[in-house]
Amino acid sequence: MLKEYLSRDVYNLIVKTFSFNDITEIRLRVGERLIVCVKNKKYYLKNDDGEFVIVNKNMLNNFITRASENSIYAYNDNIINGYITLPKGIRVGLTGTVVVENGKVVTIKDFQSANIRIPHIVRNCSLKVYDYIVGEQIKNTLIISPPGAGKTTFLRDLVFQMSEHNCTKNVLIADERNEIANSVNGEPTVILGGFCDIYTNCSKSFAFKNGIRSMCPDVIVTDEIDLDRDLSDLIEATNCGVSIIATIHARDLKDLKRKKGFDKVIDEKIFTRFVLLSNEFGPGTLVGVYDENFNCLMLGE
Amino acid sequence: MKWILIILLIGVIMIIAYSLSEQYKEKCNFYSNLKNFLNQFKLNVSFKREKVSEFLKQVNSKKQFKIFIEEYQNYLSKGELNLTRIKALDSEDLPVLEEIVKSIGKLDSKNEITQLDTFLVTVTDRLNKAEADKNKLCPMIIKLSLLFAVGIAILLI
Repeated sequence: MLKEYLSRDVYNLIVKTFSFNDITEIRLRVGERLIVCVKNKKYYLKNDDGEFVIVNKNMLNNFITRASENSIYAYNDNIINGYITLPKGIRVGLTGTVVVENGKVVTIKDFQSANIRIPHIVRNCSLKVYDYIVGEQIKNTLIISPPGAGKTTFLRDLVFQMSEHNCTKNVLIADERNEIANSVNGEPTVILGGFCDIYTNCSKSFAFKNGIRSMCPDVIVTDEIDLDRDLSDLIEATNCGVSIIATIHARDLKDLKRKKGFDKVIDEKIFTRFVLLSNEFGPGTLVGVYDENFNCLMLGE
Repeated sequence: MKWILIILLIGVIMIIAYSLSEQYKEKCNFYSNLKNFLNQFKLNVSFKREKVSEFLKQVNSKKQFKIFIEEYQNYLSKGELNLTRIKALDSEDLPVLEEIVKSIGKLDSKNEITQLDTFLVTVTDRLNKAEADKNKLCPMIIKLSLLFAVGIAILLI
C-alpha cells in the first residue's frame, strides 16, 4: 500500500518487521527515530544491523514528493490544512513552517514531520448501535471520540450498513478532508453502498447549503464538525428535515459539554443520539450510546 | 558513367548537408514545444491543477519532444532520467532540462507559476539562440556543401 511512497529500504524493513495489516500509524520526524504504531503500541524501526532508522530531511521530503505525485501545487489546498490524502484512505498529517500571507495560510514548507495513518475497514463495527440510529427515520447522531479512536471507521461502516440493511435513504457525504470516501478522480475507493452522493474537499457550509437544494438528501454524513463554525448549518439542515450523522473530537461527554457552542446543541436538541467511542481496548471501543438528555441507552465494552 | 557518378556524389553530399542542418531545426522545434509545454503547464497549475503525471498523458508530442515526455514519465515512475536520448540537444542544454524536470511540482501553485516563468525565460533564450543558429548555419551548410560538391564535380570532369 505504501510501496510507492516510502523509500524501498524503509518499506522493506517495515514489512519484514511488522504485519502490515496491523500497522495503524507510521511517524516520520526529521532527526528522530522512525516510529511504527502497531495495535496502539509504538515501536522504533531498526535496520538489519539492529540500528534505529533515523529520519532525515531528504527521506521526509522524498516521501512527501512521492505522496503528492510530484505535484505539491495540486495538493496545496489540503496541505494548508495540514494533510494529504492518499489512495485507499491513507491520511498523511504534515507539520512544518506555515507560510502566512495577509493573515491567510498559503502553504506549509520545510516539512518537519509526517504522520501516515493507515485506515482499517472494520466491517460490522457499527452494528451494535445500528438500531439505535437507523429506523423509520434516521436519528441525528453525533459520534464522539478522541483522535485515532476510530470515528471515521465507525462512520464509514454505519453508512455501509445502511445500504446493506436496505435502508434506501439518500445519503449525502460532506467529505471535507476526503477521509470518508477517499475519492480518487471522483471515484470513492471505500465501499459505502449505493445510496451515497459525495462532495469531496468542500467546506461543510457549501455541502450543507448546496447539497440540500440540489441532491435532496435524507441524511447528511460528515466528519469532524466544529460546533462553533458549523452549528448554524447543522440547525438549518435539521430544520429542512434532513438528518445528520457527524463526528466530533472529545474524550468523553464532559469534554463535549465544555465545547464552545454545545449549550446550543443541547437547547435546540439537534442531536438525539450520542455514540461515545474510546481507545481503551484499542481503537473503536464502544463506551455507550446516549439520547438527547444524555440518558444511557446502551453501555459498550 | 562518369556523369552518373558525379550526380550521385552531389546527391550524397547534399543529403548529408540537409541531415546536418536538420539537427538545428530539430533543436528549434524541441525548444518551441518545450515553451508551449511550460505555458500549458502554467495554465494547468493556475486552473485545472492536474497532477504532473496526468498532465503528461495529455501532451501531444512528436519526435525528440516525445522522447523528453517519455523520459519525464520514466523519472516520475522509476526515478530514472536519461535525457541524452534526445539527440537534438547538446551538453549545454541537458542541465537546463534536468533542472526543469526535477524542479516542477515541488511548490505551491503561486510559487510554481513564478518558477515556471523563470524557466520560460530560460527556454525562450535557448529557443532564440537555436533559431539564430538555424537561420545562420542551415543556409551556410547547404551553400558550402553545394560549393564543395560542385568543386569535386569540376575536379572529376
